[in-house]
Amino acid sequence: MDAPGISPHLLVSEVADMFMDETHGKLLSLPVLDDGRPVGVISRARMQQVLFRQYGRELFGKKPVTEIMNAAPVVIESDTALNEASKTVTERLKFPVTEDFIITEGGRYVGMGAVMHLLNAMEAQLAKQTQDLAAAYKELKASQLQLIQSEKMASLGQMVAGVAHEINTPLGYVKNNIEMLEMQSEGARELIAACLGLADTLTSPSATEADLQARLDTLQALRGTADVAEPADLIKLFADTRFGVDQISELVMNLKDFSRLDRAAADDVDLNECLDSAVLLSRNVLKSRVEVVRQYGALPRISCMPSQLNQVFLNMLTNAAQAIEGPGRILLKTEAEEGWLKVTVQDTGKGIPADVLPRIFDPFFTTKPVGQGTGLGLSISYQIVQQHGGDIRVTSQPGKGTRFTVRLPLAATQPAAPEAA
Amino acid sequence: MNERASILLVDDEERVLRSLEMLFRGRFRVFTTTDGHEAVDIARRDRIHVVVSDQRMPTITGVEVLRKVREVSPNTMRLLLTGYSDLQAIVDSVNDGEIFRYLSKPWSAKEIMNTVTQAAQIAVSLEQGVAGDAGGAPGGVLVIDEDPTVVEMVKAICGKEREVRSSADLDEAFALLAAHDIAVVVCDIRLRGRDISAAVKALKETKPMVMTIVQTQLQDVETLRSLINHGHIYRFLPKPARRGLLEMSLEAASRRHQSMKAAPQLANRYQVEKNESAPVAALSTKLLGYLDRMRQGKSA
Repeated sequence: MDAPGISPHLLVSEVADMFMDETHGKLLSLPVLDDGRPVGVISRARMQQVLFRQYGRELFGKKPVTEIMNAAPVVIESDTALNEASKTVTERLKFPVTEDFIITEGGRYVGMGAVMHLLNAMEAQLAKQTQDLAAAYKELKASQLQLIQSEKMASLGQMVAGVAHEINTPLGYVKNNIEMLEMQSEGARELIAACLGLADTLTSPSATEADLQARLDTLQALRGTADVAEPADLIKLFADTRFGVDQISELVMNLKDFSRLDRAAADDVDLNECLDSAVLLSRNVLKSRVEVVRQYGALPRISCMPSQLNQVFLNMLTNAAQAIEGPGRILLKTEAEEGWLKVTVQDTGKGIPADVLPRIFDPFFTTKPVGQGTGLGLSISYQIVQQHGGDIRVTSQPGKGTRFTVRLPLAATQPAAPEAA
Repeated sequence: MNERASILLVDDEERVLRSLEMLFRGRFRVFTTTDGHEAVDIARRDRIHVVVSDQRMPTITGVEVLRKVREVSPNTMRLLLTGYSDLQAIVDSVNDGEIFRYLSKPWSAKEIMNTVTQAAQIAVSLEQGVAGDAGGAPGGVLVIDEDPTVVEMVKAICGKEREVRSSADLDEAFALLAAHDIAVVVCDIRLRGRDISAAVKALKETKPMVMTIVQTQLQDVETLRSLINHGHIYRFLPKPARRGLLEMSLEAASRRHQSMKAAPQLANRYQVEKNESAPVAALSTKLLGYLDRMRQGKSA
């Protein structure tokens, strides 16, 4: 705000005239400058106070303005940060409604500042900050979704590697069996052809004894050389092959359920089935080292996001299996009580130390070696369960094991749909 | 083979065992077990020519089984058959298990039959030889690596006993190989930004008695699998080179080379799978010349 600086030698009456001048109508105060440097400020209010006295103009009119000015004005350097400036102004400005502050650059006067301006600037800054905050929040939310996604990918990747092994084993013997059958089928076809030839000769009225002998010789020779599995072996071979194919189908079906992030909430989910599916997919980490004991209660079907809850259970099973060094046991217990479904995953692993326990749900907190855990598994599990209106509780005894309890409300709590899949 | 060779199959899935047993029983005496510890007992008790083991089993890994079989029956040819390519397992199978082949699930019936038959033939020929030390001067060491610290390290380890030559040029390296008595080659599979694994494989095809120690930063399952099956590398070590590890590997490789000189049929153990993808075409003509000369030298 432009305000003419006044010389310290100006008289009070001259300054009074300046205030009455319409061009300065908006100014609350005028700076008093000595060689461009502020030495004081004279406000309209102070001037009025002086002149409204009886004989005010007569008494003070001829005196220099310095006698009535505020000799300790608030001076703000122009490059002062807004919040610092406002702090100084509110602390030091004695009459914020009647007085302005002086703005300097390198100590030299450049203009007057009104409290209103400061307020406006603060408001603008606040609005900008709010906007920034909103943007940051949005970004945070997006990256959180991304994190959830990458944790899902990491656990999926780990699982897929394991499942690949699980699939390659049945695939191995299924392929081998088929190739063996293929190799043998040639001999079998020749044998069948020889049998049919013999039958034809037997039933042909024109066949001679020599024809019959030739047919028989061929058959006998083939019988000696053809590499055809015994019937008992064949039955086993087919049974194994079918078993292998079924096993592969089962694994693939479970994988499909897991990988579909976009699956809508289903309202008839059996948590016992979810648990079975998670056990199947974590079989690779469980192997026969860890015994899984299931104590399933009769559960009503609930409305939830099965693929998300599968992720929670898989995470807990993997953690439990990793906590168990050598042979051990995982107890899976489900029960329905007073409006809640309870799923308990209890292991006989090494347990969680008391100082670590409060942090296990923190994002990025992990005690696993680099590459083995993202530190997001439990934090995401927690979020998923929370979105379902439930909670996770944990108790642990170092050296004895850990128990995770997931509680989900029976009443249909529609989980919030993810904003991105 | 007059008497049928014996093979031992180890897998925790009995259907795999049944399937393979049916495949092999026409040609071999087949032993099977789902228990890796029992497999070691069988190898100790019976004469086993070839052992084929799964890697991931509940109480013991395949690498562990092969390592123990190697202790109780060193002439048994060792193969790993696995459905999951875990890099560490493959590295261990080379360094600890000294395996003959690395097979993947699912496998091809014909291929596994060929590989096991070949392994069995080698094992039978090994039985007829006596391992020992040929005596005489130990062969030299050739370092194919552009990293001078590796060359220095090998020189420091070998001292005055074994001659160390080095080159960062493939053609030159093969010329050295053709001209001198080289027992061990220490190399990377990348040289001046180029992949030289084809040359590493060709080396073993032409000079089966040369022991190859690969030191590299590259950690790729497929490359390593191929180096085992086609290049029959003796050790696979990480980079940056660690002196203790390299020293142990060099000692073992030299000893192995010496005993092969005493009983050349031992070199059969290092037969490589014929390289059908013909990466030799990628080698320079000059290099092919050396290879040819070496091949002739071998057959003469």
